[in-house]
Amino acid sequence: MRWILTRAMQAFFPHTDALPGLAEEAAHAHLDRLDAEAPLLFRLGLIAGALAFTLSPLLTVGLPLPSLWLSAERLDLHADRAASHPLYLYKMLIFTLKMNAGLAWGAQDQVRRALALAPLPPDPRTTLAGEVTP
Amino acid sequence: MTHRSAGVRPTHLSADYVVVGSGAGGAIAAAELARAGARVALIEAGAWRQPQDLPHSILGTFGATLDQWGVSITRGRALWPIVQGRAVGGGTVVNSAIIVRTPADLFERWSSELGIDGLADAVWAAQDEIEAELEVGPTQPDQLGRHNALALAGAAAAGYPSHPTVRATPGCAGAGTCLQGCRRGHKRSADLVYVPQVLDAGGWVLSNAPVRRVLVQGGKAVGVAGRFIDPITGRPGGTFRVDADKAVILAASAAHTPTLLQRSGVRHPALGEGFRAHPGTTSFGIYPDPVDMVQGASQGWASTAFRTDPGYKLETLSMPPELVAGRLMGGGKALVDRLAAYRHMACFVVGIRAESVGTVRAGWGGAPVVRYTLDRADMERARHAIWTLARTHFAAGAEAVVPGVVGLPYSLGPDQVDRILQASLDPRHWVAILSHLFGGAVMGADPQRAVCDPRGRVRGVRGLLVVDAAVIPSNLGVNPQHTIMALSRTFTRRLLEEGA
Ligand SMILES: Cc1cc2nc3c(=O)[nH]c(=O)nc-3n(C[C@H](O)[C@H](O)[C@H](O)COP(=O)(O)OP(=O)(O)OC[C@H]3O[C@@H](n4cnc5c(N)ncnc54)[C@H](O)[C@@H]3O)c2cc1C
Ligand code: SF4
Repeated sequence: MRWILTRAMQAFFPHTDALPGLAEEAAHAHLDRLDAEAPLLFRLGLIAGALAFTLSPLLTVGLPLPSLWLSAERLDLHADRAASHPLYLYKMLIFTLKMNAGLAWGAQDQVRRALALAPLPPDPRTTLAGEVTP
Repeated sequence: MTHRSAGVRPTHLSADYVVVGSGAGGAIAAAELARAGARVALIEAGAWRQPQDLPHSILGTFGATLDQWGVSITRGRALWPIVQGRAVGGGTVVNSAIIVRTPADLFERWSSELGIDGLADAVWAAQDEIEAELEVGPTQPDQLGRHNALALAGAAAAGYPSHPTVRATPGCAGAGTCLQGCRRGHKRSADLVYVPQVLDAGGWVLSNAPVRRVLVQGGKAVGVAGRFIDPITGRPGGTFRVDADKAVILAASAAHTPTLLQRSGVRHPALGEGFRAHPGTTSFGIYPDPVDMVQGASQGWASTAFRTDPGYKLETLSMPPELVAGRLMGGGKALVDRLAAYRHMACFVVGIRAESVGTVRAGWGGAPVVRYTLDRADMERARHAIWTLARTHFAAGAEAVVPGVVGLPYSLGPDQVDRILQASLDPRHWVAILSHLFGGAVMGADPQRAVCDPRGRVRGVRGLLVVDAAVIPSNLGVNPQHTIMALSRTFTRRLLEEGA
């Protein structure tokens, strides 16, 4: 499943001449964090989006194949068309995938550097947990 | 020990007043009661984060400070995200701290349509005090950044009035990260201003403590009960019960207060009805030179010129790349190529003063289910608004505008701006979010049509008050925090007078 998720996320943010794409490690770091912290519904939404994306090239590029078997050009077209598909519920499932991929993509140091933004330090945890007097 | 969080042992406390929810409405009510010498317990579902503990990333923000990780959605023609704070400080932690006084026309409307009288002077007096407490002031020229400056210039050139926003952010460094919370501590959010007053007066604050139900005995609210949760994993911890000798005060938000009342067995024909919002959508302008929209105040510009006709307000919004990546249309190389223009983008937003009405009900597991669809008149307002924003971008020198509506081209040039007036009115073709919510337990003079009376008291249950956005019976057309805080203070003072 991890493999399907990372491939689907990366399809939305490939490397281009102008900007870096979504690196595999960044996709894994995002998914690791979701596994540890996100509510079940959030994770299920992403899984449903990734499965819908993987199984639907017939809807977008007319090929009865999983997206994992598409050529790079076809995969790119599939991602673009899936994100704007007229079937609303399908598009919303794809949106959960694209939103997650976008969160992981935009948080990468290389991307932020290319956009003249400082890298993001690791997120802190709350120090006011447990039984404490602030 | 006055702050307890995520404990595993059962907790049983007793107070004069229990306040549920520590956002705009709850924190100020709890502080008011504590300052008056009452024993107060303030109970908050979310975690308590000091400014330096606030997340940097948007994913971190989803988990740390947003309700349901920011992904609860409306059910209706379109599925739009409902974005609310969930933290000690509630929405005031993640909002832009824009402060707008309650317009007089609202009090007139509430009086003539709903029989709510005698509020205006008390609310405005409370707003005078709150403005001093929150050190409210206009966004300064050196805090604007290019993003907000472009909007000011664009509005002036397009011929309508606008202004730098008035905010509760003294010393704002213009870091453009208000959505993630202000790590520099410049935002005078409720967790920094009012919650400490509760602790100073010897009151209790429970965090990571979602209240499951209000306990009602013999027609009187006598306390609340729930179970702590772990702030990171969400796993359940020990149970808690807090008894209220005098009253239970609800401020869990327009989505959660009505459902908490429903879960607690409160029955009223109007409970969960009258849900309203200011749905928000974006318009990006692409400029010849870099804008770097995350430099400068997150929302440093606004216009209320269209508040009454056709009914919307305009603002800027600093959007980090993580969010723009999801917002722009398309996928694959086409999307990444569009994102290459990020530094040249300015993001203007509209909050529609929508008249459409929805419902909020407790669904599976007791979580709120919001049914809400904008009608044609509201969609026409939205369309007019993004046309105004596009004109503003062009007047400010944009080369192209990204209207973000399905059916329109990805971007439009200056001579194509009127194509927006033909945009689809189907909500499914629009991307919007709901962050200003109202109603669900509205106030009014008619006992059949209003859950609460004009003092916020829940009808049919003694000692139970609502002091948050759920009580507001109409849209406002302006940012709601100031109205919510002032209404809460007014209701709380009246409650104390009754007690005395
Ligand atoms: C991103 C964003 C930007 C905004 N910008 C502005 C702005 O600049 N100016 C402005 O005026 N308004 C702004 N708003 C709106 C404003 O923040 C809200 O209208 C306001 O915070 C609502 O106040 P409230 O008291 O009704 O609820 P909230 O502030 O949402 O507080 C409710 C609290 O109750 C807690 N809670 C919920 N259920 C339970 C339960 N069962 N038990 C215990 N606690 C519970 C929640 O965790 C939350 O902390 C913005 C909102 C958002 C989301
Ligand atoms: S713009 Fe930045 S510095 Fe100013 S209040 Fe918001 S987060 Fe703080």
